[in-house]
Amino acid sequence: MTSYFLPRDLHPAAWWVWALGLAVAATRTTNPWLLLTIVAVAGYVVVARRSEAPWALAFRLYLYLGAFIVAVRVFFRLVFGGAEGSTIILRLPEIPLPEWAAGIRLFGDVSAESLLGGLYDGMRLATMVICLGAANALANPKRLLKAMPPALYEVGTAVIVALSVFPQLAESVLRVRRARKLRGGSGKKVKALHAILIPVLEDALSRSLQLAASMDSRGYGRAGMVAARARLITGTLMIIGLIGVCVGVYATLDGSTPRYLAAPVLSAGVLVGLAGFWSAGKRVQRTRYRPDRWHLAEVVAAASGIGVAAILFTTSNVNPMNMNPSLINLSWPLLSWGPLLGVLIGVLPAFLTPVPEPPYAAHEKEAHEKEAHA
Amino acid sequence: MRKVFGVLAVIFLIAASSPVAHAVDQGKGYPGFCKDATGVTVVVDFQQLGGTTIVRCDPQAGRGTGLDALKGAGFQIAGAQRWGEAFICRVENRPSAAEDVPIAGREKYRELCIDTPPAQAYWSYWHASNNCAWDYSQWGVKNRDFIPGGFEGWSFSLNATAENNPVPRVSAVRPGTESLPCVPREEAKPVTDDPNERQRPQPQAGSGQQGGEQQPRAGAEPGASQGEGPAAGPGSGALPPPKPRPSASARPQAKDPSMNVAFTGGENAEDVNAVIQRESGASDWAPWVAGGAVLALCVAGFLVARRRKHAQGAG
Repeated sequence: MTSYFLPRDLHPAAWWVWALGLAVAATRTTNPWLLLTIVAVAGYVVVARRSEAPWALAFRLYLYLGAFIVAVRVFFRLVFGGAEGSTIILRLPEIPLPEWAAGIRLFGDVSAESLLGGLYDGMRLATMVICLGAANALANPKRLLKAMPPALYEVGTAVIVALSVFPQLAESVLRVRRARKLRGGSGKKVKALHAILIPVLEDALSRSLQLAASMDSRGYGRAGMVAARARLITGTLMIIGLIGVCVGVYATLDGSTPRYLAAPVLSAGVLVGLAGFWSAGKRVQRTRYRPDRWHLAEVVAAASGIGVAAILFTTSNVNPMNMNPSLINLSWPLLSWGPLLGVLIGVLPAFLTPVPEPPYAAHEKEAHEKEAHA
Repeated sequence: MRKVFGVLAVIFLIAASSPVAHAVDQGKGYPGFCKDATGVTVVVDFQQLGGTTIVRCDPQAGRGTGLDALKGAGFQIAGAQRWGEAFICRVENRPSAAEDVPIAGREKYRELCIDTPPAQAYWSYWHASNNCAWDYSQWGVKNRDFIPGGFEGWSFSLNATAENNPVPRVSAVRPGTESLPCVPREEAKPVTDDPNERQRPQPQAGSGQQGGEQQPRAGAEPGASQGEGPAAGPGSGALPPPKPRPSASARPQAKDPSMNVAFTGGENAEDVNAVIQRESGASDWAPWVAGGAVLALCVAGFLVARRRKHAQGAG
């Protein structure tokens, strides 16, 4: 038990499962109390368990992105028809549109109900984005790539390169900004943007070229001795399977899509994907150097995320009354204990998992010893 | 990060210090049929959902939409989230989110009022002039004007088709006017696909002269479908004159009111907000706890981040 809390990095997949669980829970509700709690839970776990690595610094940007999403949703309600409901809080002049644009409204009366509708909707999307940001901040993308099953490595490489773009951009921005500050950069806003944007884009380009070159030299994307026909079949199976899984997952999560798109397409996609796995795995012989293992802490983190999703799924099936608060009678959204306590389960990893290993642990030890001597 | 927490704290404080609103049901309209020809009587028939039919009066005079009548009579409604109040999804919290609606093939269907309700289970919208038979409305609830002195009907249609939609089981007859003839108001079908198209203002009903206003139009097919709307000439702006019905003056008379099902004025109907709060198990304290948890997590996160920064600075 004493070794349980020894500082170490958790398996990245555990963090992804936890974060996806929170994100899935957020899809079930537009109740602002629950969504705010999910964001707070994700934010606290990130603050408590993130490492000092560059990708861990991007979480703040995800928060800004979430705020931006909410602002855009509310703003669009203001611009395009915000008169749904009876509590008019703002009267703007309506811009008349030609006949062919019938059904579209520009400005005009704005009601509190429609603004709230935009706010709740935007909050749901923002919460999901912030949950993904939490996963990106907590999980080490390089280790995640290592944990991919060998058969999936082609698709997995592409996905992880795509996932780590945003954290890397964030790190670039921070680096360029610090460099400008050290040089005493001028305070003019537009010029500053110019002076940050170009180095960041240049950085991104040169970095991706570097990444491509280094992956190439390590044998990624190596076709080897496989016949073109076999590769074509494997690739087709994988792509079709993944598309099936994507459509199936979307239909399962979105209650309003037809049900035949949910379970049947999902299972068919999984089957086709597994066939592709099997076909690709036949020709991949690769071993892993020091693979990450799943210990109890990983299970705790993943289970808490899955638990949140399961509780909100159950609530929305059994008694969904407060999951989508009514906007017709303007009132404070109601909340019952079940889903609230369910969401709070998500904060457990902040207390029940080991802290990440500090990057300069050895240096710090040395410094402490010096301090003790002095 | 500090700013975000600050904003959250402000939101929480504003949210926590405001009172909880309650909708008024009995304060609007009055129970039973309208006593004179100025208001409009609203009949809500729950049909197979179970529950006693409710008849209330919206005494409002002048022009108003079907939605105005429904609300003015004191009914508490919920629209589908996708369409807002343009699609009535619940009336008096029926079908509630926690009740199974036995649609053929999906016995456990629950109405969440997020998307359009299915065609097998929805509130069908009817209207009638006094002493006339019920008509299925060709217009949306926000697009149609109610008939002053007439009736608005809401009847839950479960597993029915366009041909056998259940008619409200209370006849459109104001007590004391049984001997009067049926003077129907003719309603043109919608001519465009514009969801905001409103009915043309109607001449006062009850003048008895409406029959003479019909102008048979050359080439007007009685069965013209809604989809052919743009043929009416988008340039003119106004709707075409009402299409002649097969025999407008001989509209079927309303059924004998003695055949009515039992109904109430909804005098004892509970406030819908209170019902929802009870049935959903919502607690008055839960939002406070949620807000408190958000605030506590923000403060704790801030402290942890500060401690880390200090540790970094020291290291």
